[in-house]
Amino acid sequence: MRVCCGLVPHLELAQRRDLYGSPVVVGHWEEQVIAASDETVQFGVVPGMPMRQAEHLCPQAAFLTPDPLAAGRLRELIASALYDVAPVVEVRGEGVAWLELSGVPSPSASIREARRRLRTAVGVEPRLGLAPGPFTARLAAARARRGRLIQVDEARAFLAPLSARELQLDDESMERLDLLGLRTLDAVAAIGPRELESQLGREGRHAVLLARGLEPDQLTPWRPPMFTSAHRQFEPPVEDREALLFVARALCGDLALELGVRGAGAKQVRVRLLLEDADQEGRESVVRHALSSEAELFGLIGAWIKEWQPRAPINELWIELPVLEAAGRRQLRLWAGGGGTSEEVLAALERLQERHGDGIVRKPRLALLTSPVPAQRFDWVS
Amino acid sequence: MQGEIAQLDRAIEAIRVRFGSQALTRAAELPPPPPWPSGTPLDRLTGIGGLPCGRLTVLAGSGTCGKHTLGLALLAAATNQFAHAIVIDPSGAFDPWCLLQFKPDLGTLTVVRSTSSDTAGEAAASLARAGAGFILLMGEVPEHWLGPMEAGANRSGAVMVGVVEAPGRAFAHASSLSFGFSRLGWVWERDQLVGLKTIARCIKNRVAPPIGDAELEIRYPVGAATFSSELSVFESSLEEVVEAECVSAVV
Repeated sequence: MRVCCGLVPHLELAQRRDLYGSPVVVGHWEEQVIAASDETVQFGVVPGMPMRQAEHLCPQAAFLTPDPLAAGRLRELIASALYDVAPVVEVRGEGVAWLELSGVPSPSASIREARRRLRTAVGVEPRLGLAPGPFTARLAAARARRGRLIQVDEARAFLAPLSARELQLDDESMERLDLLGLRTLDAVAAIGPRELESQLGREGRHAVLLARGLEPDQLTPWRPPMFTSAHRQFEPPVEDREALLFVARALCGDLALELGVRGAGAKQVRVRLLLEDADQEGRESVVRHALSSEAELFGLIGAWIKEWQPRAPINELWIELPVLEAAGRRQLRLWAGGGGTSEEVLAALERLQERHGDGIVRKPRLALLTSPVPAQRFDWVS
Repeated sequence: MQGEIAQLDRAIEAIRVRFGSQALTRAAELPPPPPWPSGTPLDRLTGIGGLPCGRLTVLAGSGTCGKHTLGLALLAAATNQFAHAIVIDPSGAFDPWCLLQFKPDLGTLTVVRSTSSDTAGEAAASLARAGAGFILLMGEVPEHWLGPMEAGANRSGAVMVGVVEAPGRAFAHASSLSFGFSRLGWVWERDQLVGLKTIARCIKNRVAPPIGDAELEIRYPVGAATFSSELSVFESSLEEVVEAECVSAVV
């Protein structure tokens, strides 16, 4: 397994790009710090401490209340942006994005693209780590400079000198490790899993496996949502078809934007008109090729509305996309670029050969590279 | 003239009010095409961070000025990133041996050796329409094939690069991005010619505001080429991973 980890600021901080470079603390006032920018570290502010304590330590910081909805949207945005770069992607609110690169034809191209997309999404260069598993990759990324990648081949050797605090155990378990003299991951790795399990419970066994670089944790793959809808209420109810078309187009635009962010397409489209007399009329269709743009969606829905004869004025218009396209087809970058149309390209080349002879299309194959005669260096396959 | 423009503006506004803001879009308001970051210094000059997908980019310049070397660097990068990288070579001058220094993936490379420029045009148009990832034109395409080629590339998003000495009017008009190369001088080391200095100017840019020029130093391979593994290069410098080892920018 090869996992790449990209570290960006906590997604609560990433929403306020204007505050990059200045101390920022995010949290509810009577509760604990959820996120703190790097600039607050020198004052001793860390996530998890009470907000009042953070204010006492770093009064000059900007204190923000969290916006979990916006952070969730940003998380979705990042996950969908990375989704066609690697087969398995996991993004966490703390600003950690993992990509599993096993089987990807060009891992370095995927990493470069992931770096570019992370930078676009949050506005700063990510730190990158490449390692056999998510735990080691995260620790490697944490030690990389911004925009740089640290590659780890031997996880255990890399982890050995690091502090046992990297295991992120609770305070009590950390105190026990300290009492046992296990202060580095090397020391933790040297002890048997059962022995530490007897001291710390399951967490102990898990900690030993992590310290040995055995990566017991698997990524939780992000999956695009499978349903979405948009609706508009009319006050007063409308009968004008032009108005209905206008609203339908706007709703299609909203849905297309959302589909774009999620990297999905609609396989099924449903339109419902809620009528003034509390009744409703609907129309539904399964489409062969997934629709994802405004033009595609409105092309179908607009055609329905143009010929629709509602029995009464319309109170509400609903456009629902109950089946969004499954993952695989949209992960086009997992193949070499343009791979989706490979058959068409081959067919075009064959047509050229049919029209102008086999010799027109040729592929070079290495033959005698060292030959002084240029013609002998390559075999040309038609 | 002013009156006609005002009339046209009114008509456009009326269409937008009647059918929505997206019913009619001015070409200038269209979003730029998605970029293909080639990893060469040209990316910095395009204004969008890479060569435009679905458009024709022309590298022009007379004599030895580095346009072919950059074209080959682009082709090699494309062979590693696209399923199909095509060279359309009407003159029969393309030698894959020159490409090897850029570490290409020859498995994805196809060469179309056309006997006439008309066949080259037909090949370019049909392959652009079919969705070949990258097409390198080693010469001009006849005017009547430019329309189908542009339309095909636009539909499929194929990256098209033409390398010519001096583009004709039609070919220059069809390009969305044109770079002019002119050699500044040779690079000598220990009485041995090791490269050349050239200046690349963005002389036409329909995808973003034009961004000046860049001075490039192109080094010829000397002695045995040594290439480190892809990832170790990546580790040391993310920016230069695709950048061909013999091309360096002194912007």
